[in-house]
Amino acid sequence: MNPTNRRDFLLAGSAGLAATWLAPALKRLQPSFQGSKLSLGLISAGRQGRAMLGELATIPGCSVDAVCDSDDSRLQAALRRASGAKGFANAKEMLAAASGLQAVVIATPTHLHKELVLESLAAKKHVYCETPLAHTLEDNAAIAAAARATTQICAGGFQGRSNPVYALARSFFKAGTLRELAALRAQNSKKTSWRTAGSTPEREAELNWHLDPKLSLGLLGELGTQQFDVFHWFLGRHPRSVRARGSLRLHKDGREIPDCVSAQLVFEDGLELDYSCTLANSFEGRFEVLAGEMAAIKLAWTHGWMFKEADAPTQGWEVYANRQQFHDEKGITLIADATKLAAQGKLQEGVGLPFTSLYYALADFVAAAAAGKPAACSLGEAARTTAVGILAQRALREGGEVAIDPQLLAEL
Amino acid sequence: MWVRLATAAMGTRFELVLAGRDAAHARAAGEAALELIQEFDARYSRFRTDSVLARIHREAGAAALRVDPQTFQLLARCLELRAATGGAFDVAVGAPMDRLRAGLAAQFPGRGGSFELDAGASSVRLASADTRLDLGGIGKGLALDQAVQLLRELGVRSALLHGGTSSVIAFGLPPQPANLVAPVCMGEAHEPGYGVSLGPCFDGACVNLAGGALSVSAALAQGQGQGCAHVLDPRSGRALNHDLRAAVCADSAADADAWSTALLVLAAARPRVSLRRLLAGASLPPGFQCLLQSHAGAAPRAFRTTSTPSASLAR
Repeated sequence: MNPTNRRDFLLAGSAGLAATWLAPALKRLQPSFQGSKLSLGLISAGRQGRAMLGELATIPGCSVDAVCDSDDSRLQAALRRASGAKGFANAKEMLAAASGLQAVVIATPTHLHKELVLESLAAKKHVYCETPLAHTLEDNAAIAAAARATTQICAGGFQGRSNPVYALARSFFKAGTLRELAALRAQNSKKTSWRTAGSTPEREAELNWHLDPKLSLGLLGELGTQQFDVFHWFLGRHPRSVRARGSLRLHKDGREIPDCVSAQLVFEDGLELDYSCTLANSFEGRFEVLAGEMAAIKLAWTHGWMFKEADAPTQGWEVYANRQQFHDEKGITLIADATKLAAQGKLQEGVGLPFTSLYYALADFVAAAAAGKPAACSLGEAARTTAVGILAQRALREGGEVAIDPQLLAEL
Repeated sequence: MWVRLATAAMGTRFELVLAGRDAAHARAAGEAALELIQEFDARYSRFRTDSVLARIHREAGAAALRVDPQTFQLLARCLELRAATGGAFDVAVGAPMDRLRAGLAAQFPGRGGSFELDAGASSVRLASADTRLDLGGIGKGLALDQAVQLLRELGVRSALLHGGTSSVIAFGLPPQPANLVAPVCMGEAHEPGYGVSLGPCFDGACVNLAGGALSVSAALAQGQGQGCAHVLDPRSGRALNHDLRAAVCADSAADADAWSTALLVLAAARPRVSLRRLLAGASLPPGFQCLLQSHAGAAPRAFRTTSTPSASLAR
């Protein structure tokens, strides 16, 4: 055996060892679909709706057969992306006319979710609802109650739960690789006004609902919950209180919603999640970090890394693992489906996901609805994280600490 | 109200100046256009594992891959441009372009592959396992065209956008005072519209853009003080080791991009032939005009179609 072959052999063998350890939680990179295509309707063809259409068009197990939006130009743009789909001005018309639809994907503004989820479930459709689910605790509870009462498949749009890199990282976490947790940290930094342009001032006001404090959960709720949910899923528990503060640093255009916020989500044992979100600077983008006694895991949606402490036990496979330099640290790249890729000599190609996080969330829903199995992110789980987001926004508004009643979450 | 915004995408800097109803509207519209450019980059990047192009490459030589209608239309457009240029522009040159960029084949990187589209199945199939698509010659133009369409839909009256200064598109009238866009438009406008100087190349030619696009290409990239080839002839597989520069105006930025590359390829293959003969019989895009310079310091040759242009080239 020449040195190269020996190295390849060790690589395959060692990756196999790692994968054996990780196998129970490892998801396939490409979800499989069985049976006939799931007939889908999309509710709302705004920015998120159009992104969803792009992903749904490439998921083999479904067909987008209807789209609705009250704005005709957006509807027509969406129909160009979903060839063969019928267009409707609103969800009521779509649900009444397109009786063959099996499922709906709801991508409207947050405050419109409740009515649409309830109507869709009443029409016996499987439901995927974007997150956060609601802007009030009352609407949130109503959605959770409707989900509990139905036999239809319901999914919330927290994407970490169906992301293969996150699933792999979680399996490391659950296996105790980090040992005692020391700190949790996450950020979402981007440079944007977070304002949507419209063809007329009236239309623009309607589109910018997320800058309206009466309708929007602000940065903590509308953006932060996507990341809060990652920690809830990893830890299997929720915080007991939340502190938050914010200020308007850059976009002083008359808005009331702060463009820079920070929050501390405090868990029962004193563990804290430090979260920050800004619209004024894009440095380092969006990521989550779980730091423990023996290692830290950093997750950034398409990529994930593990940074081990010097005194952490070494696994055999680590010698050959792919690494990436971060300033003066080296991170082991977390590669989903490492066994398969190593066997093909393509471990390096596995760095980074082959699909977007949104693709995996939608594909998981399609596969779950087709098979009649629970989705990776149930509406109950999504409702619990949404409730945390609502209370975080309350803490920001009131400028203090807000308790999170475990009973409130348990009832969702 | 005018704003100026920029973003990094496709390995370069995209910048725009635009007029909106007010500062908030202008900024939001500009951000939407830049976001669209970034989305385009994410979808069609050769370097991202989760891009549509990466998915297509993973199925190369095997099964046809179902793609979204937008991607299908984009690839159909690329096939049309290949036909219109007689094969001088081709996006299926990804593999030989990689060899050329890596310095593995400075003279003969080889011919590219081919791909088929199935309209009924909305699918694409790369003919062989080593076929790779490279939208580098047209990606900036395609993204700029989409961005302009979006800006118009959002009520923007006037804008100039460029990607790395080599692909430019504009509509409406520029702001007053004109020096607001001075770092972008370095020349004097001779007519209403955005004046863009082609700099010391092309003998100081100036382009006036008012609803049209400009693309500038050179066969040799300047690196380490010495030009190295970064364009190849898809028909022969040979690298273009000629000091050729082309500037093309067209109504669409994608057409301008594709034709500025194609013009280099056509001229390199037939160096003594006039532009008129070189382009005779070609299916030229609306608003087509061009300048071709055979080497530094040479007088540029000009050609324009008889249709009314949305951009004007003046020397």
